Amino acid sequence: MAAEIIEKEQPVLSRLRSYLGLVGAYTGFNLKSQWAYRGAFISQMFAMAANNFVWVAFWALFFERFPVLRGWGVKDVITLWAIAATGFGIAHTVCGNALALPWLIARGQLDVWMLYPRALLSHVLLGRMSATACGDTVFGFAVYVLFVRPDLPHFCLFAALSFAVAFLFVGFSILTGSLTFFLGNAEGLAEQWRFSMITFSTYPATLFEGFVKIILYTLIPAAFVSYLPIEALREMSLYYSLLTVLGSLAVLLAGILVFYLGLKRYESGNLTEMRG
Amino acid sequence: MTGLSKYFYIASTSAKSNVAYLGEVASRVIFLAVILYIFLRLWQVTYAETGASELGGFTLAQMLWYLAVTESIILSAPRITQMVDRDVRTGELAVHLIKPMSYPLYCLGTSMGERVVRFALNLGVGLVIALIFVGPIPLQPLSIACLLLALPLAFVLDFLANFLIGLGAFWLEDTTGLVLIYSRITMILGGMLIPIELFPEAMQSWLRVLPFASIVYGPAKMLVAPSTSALTELLIIQSLGIVGVGALVAIVYGIASRRVFANGG
Repeated sequence: MAAEIIEKEQPVLSRLRSYLGLVGAYTGFNLKSQWAYRGAFISQMFAMAANNFVWVAFWALFFERFPVLRGWGVKDVITLWAIAATGFGIAHTVCGNALALPWLIARGQLDVWMLYPRALLSHVLLGRMSATACGDTVFGFAVYVLFVRPDLPHFCLFAALSFAVAFLFVGFSILTGSLTFFLGNAEGLAEQWRFSMITFSTYPATLFEGFVKIILYTLIPAAFVSYLPIEALREMSLYYSLLTVLGSLAVLLAGILVFYLGLKRYESGNLTEMRG
Repeated sequence: MTGLSKYFYIASTSAKSNVAYLGEVASRVIFLAVILYIFLRLWQVTYAETGASELGGFTLAQMLWYLAVTESIILSAPRITQMVDRDVRTGELAVHLIKPMSYPLYCLGTSMGERVVRFALNLGVGLVIALIFVGPIPLQPLSIACLLLALPLAFVLDFLANFLIGLGAFWLEDTTGLVLIYSRITMILGGMLIPIELFPEAMQSWLRVLPFASIVYGPAKMLVAPSTSALTELLIIQSLGIVGVGALVAIVYGIASRRVFANGG
């Protein structure tokens, strides 16, 4: 309560600066913690980058045989993979706990974060870094620069859209993870929903029509990864860029709203544990 | 229990355990449905844009049935590497070593029991989805027989590769990366995403003799285009793969067992 009162008294810009500082501090600590096991950290990063590269190799093979797919060429699909990997990577490099949310809620492990100043969700999300997500981020930027060879405006737009996609992934993870507040142990459901989102995000959205297309803008908002940002980059379009940003913010806000609605139903795990 | 019978018993217990948690296993099939739908759209669009009725000798219906089998094989893979990795790190391996059974064969039994149940469920669901999306394909008793004969050795070969990676825990901080790379290479070079016939011609001949294709492509091709000569060739490649990877496992396991140190109980 005290934290909320202090926050309300702060001007918006000052609060934003304060939260950015928090993000920086957590990311720094998490990176140091990962670096303590640098062998595992580097091998996981490398493995994820190699995993993504295999998919890009699949598309390269596919497009060698069938050069155009509904107007998309191999560079468009590589851009799609680059933006999906960078967005997902940034999201879970910074907010590594977003993927563990169902597990944390189901086991009543939010208690410890509730004692900290500032909003609960920020601490929970920032509390961990995913090593494989770092690999996604590095892969995304590298593959875009090496294979698509963008000029400076394209690269800047790519970077900006990657951050928008990162917000979308964080929001989606919060949304699916928060189902646990309402359904009990929803780890399986959240995982399946998230897998579907990731899978649809890595195939050209132009493949889908009708009812499935509506789903890709609503229940599984993959079109904000696999269609709008790619069109924005193809045409250097402000309109598609804005739609991407608006869609991402909508998903993020929906996730935050559902989380705090669900938090009212949260019951403590009464779990005693040591934290280093 | 003597000889190999105890390992069959372990496999049957593992299968029963997986049947008991069928609900949990079944929840994973949503992913299978999603991926099959995406591939259906990908190939529907590709067939429509090329105007071809067959690609690499596959009709659209055959392509989806083929993908249902390859996806079922890949998605049914038990997490054997993680199991071995955990046993090595926690020291549980020392407990296994004092039991009157071979640790690799114990893992093989557990893996096979789990895989058979998972594969059967995935294949059942995958084929129903394929049936709904593209209708039936002409199946002969030979198709089913060839598939069933090709699967056991494919599963054993896949197990040996995963077990070998798991043994890496004796020397490496983490084997997650290696297993991820292995599974992705199996997916692409094994023909899970594209049948070998659609790879560039220069690659096809060597892809067919690699063990990856004999785990995924070989058995799946048996269902849609069965042939006794292709089955014989596949069984020979699988057997050679098992001998080769099995020898590697024996050597690495021999070296690794000498590094086991147990302290207390």
